[in-house]
Amino acid sequence: MAQYDYVEKAVQVSRREFIGIVGVAGAILWTGAYLATDLIQDRTKYIKMRAQGIYKDDVKSKIRQSHNNQAVTDVYKKFARNPLSPLAEELFHTKYVDRTKLV
Amino acid sequence: MKGFQGQELTSVIEIDRKACKGCDSCKSFCPADAIDGKYGAVHRVNSERCISCGQCIINCPFGAPKDKVDVVDKVIAQLKNKQLTVVGTIAPAVRVAIGEEFGMEPGSLVTEKLYGAMKQAGFKVLDTVFTADQTIMEEGMELIGRIRHFALGEPSEHHLGPLPQFTSCCPAWVRYAELYYPELLPNMSSAKSPMMMAGALGKTYGAKEVWKVKPEDIFMVGVMPCTAKKFEASRPEFSSAAHYWRTQGGSGNYSDVDVVLTTRDLACLFKKLNIDVKAVAEFDDKDNPLVQYSGAGTIFANTGGVMEAALRTAYFVITGKELDVLEFKPVRGLKGVKEASVTMRDAKTGKEVTLKVAVAHGIKENVKPLLEEVKAGESPYHFIEIMNCPGGCVNGGGQPINPMGTSWLDKVKAVLPWS
Repeated sequence: MAQYDYVEKAVQVSRREFIGIVGVAGAILWTGAYLATDLIQDRTKYIKMRAQGIYKDDVKSKIRQSHNNQAVTDVYKKFARNPLSPLAEELFHTKYVDRTKLV
Repeated sequence: MKGFQGQELTSVIEIDRKACKGCDSCKSFCPADAIDGKYGAVHRVNSERCISCGQCIINCPFGAPKDKVDVVDKVIAQLKNKQLTVVGTIAPAVRVAIGEEFGMEPGSLVTEKLYGAMKQAGFKVLDTVFTADQTIMEEGMELIGRIRHFALGEPSEHHLGPLPQFTSCCPAWVRYAELYYPELLPNMSSAKSPMMMAGALGKTYGAKEVWKVKPEDIFMVGVMPCTAKKFEASRPEFSSAAHYWRTQGGSGNYSDVDVVLTTRDLACLFKKLNIDVKAVAEFDDKDNPLVQYSGAGTIFANTGGVMEAALRTAYFVITGKELDVLEFKPVRGLKGVKEASVTMRDAKTGKEVTLKVAVAHGIKENVKPLLEEVKAGESPYHFIEIMNCPGGCVNGGGQPINPMGTSWLDKVKAVLPWS
């Protein structure tokens, strides 16, 4: 029987060193994954910031309901009579088109 | 090209062949499946399917999709023409985003500075928030009419569409319905969007009562967070002011809104005129009746805002009393589909009415099940708000491209040590 005298070099890693290496590798992977998810989560942050700006505008407004806006009431008093009046229908309402039928 | 009326803009967004890497990011944001091209190959926009919402523009990491309708120089030329009254109508979402283009935090509310910059550039202002209030009056009365007729069995003098009623403010949603759900068009509120109301009102009431000029000498510029508004303004039916003046003995034919600038375009215009929004003198324009607006109008820019504004007014009209707490929390926030119901006592008949509403934003993700439900006749709602862009107009396709979120490659580049 042939003799194989090749012996694999023994890996000299103690239990403690192994834990250390795996720990460092894990930390690197975890940081990368954290940075990536952080980037993705940030995407909605500016939407929320803009939305907060809009709600701030609402809170600081003196009038907060459309029907209490005197300037709008004036449009109806001086011009369009009342909502859904014939003139309001003509100027402020529209029709839609079925685009599947447009060639 | 199929699916367009005469004069309409057939293409708003195109993809730059050189910049496109074929990464498919745009496809994952496109609500209309309008982007052709295999993964890895150069993509292109199919204009017949595209609803021009611009989500691809603000979400592409390489900045490849471009808004091709550039009217900045045309508006500057009109501003120099002393014969014309150039009127800007500014959407609510613009005032919390334009600051970003001048180095301010997202969400900085700069209404007075924006008015100041508009004044310096030579614009008169008719605030779109003012016509948003008017939209609530028209759309809200229409809704109350439908509820009184279909839910309470009262006779009606008007021709009314069926319940549930859909909001009609979002032009991308309107085109989406026209292309993909035409059977639901009778449910759409017939009220124009606030921008188109501003066009019609500015060239009639504004011309006569406020600026006292000839309507054909008004150049109406929509300032919008939205690329689909460019398409909307080009629709041929929106020349109702010219039509009105012809019945009054006038002549001429002109659109209600002549051109539309996005928030990005407006920032570009200010920069070309050397106006810095951050440093400009504030102006409150308080003698102008057309910039008086309510808090209900301004929240149109957020998802759930139209609904909240409509509820504030509908509650008053139905019960005769104001709401005690105006903030209606169930329709706020970024949840995909939000639902709520409000019970009120009708002052006229003494009956109890429970108004059921739903709010959806992001056609790509959240809207289809709601629409299928309405199509099958099983929808429990009376009023449904739909906005194409996730989060509403504040995240519209015409808004500044924000390195904090959408253009995330820029953010990565910004933290690299060698840049």
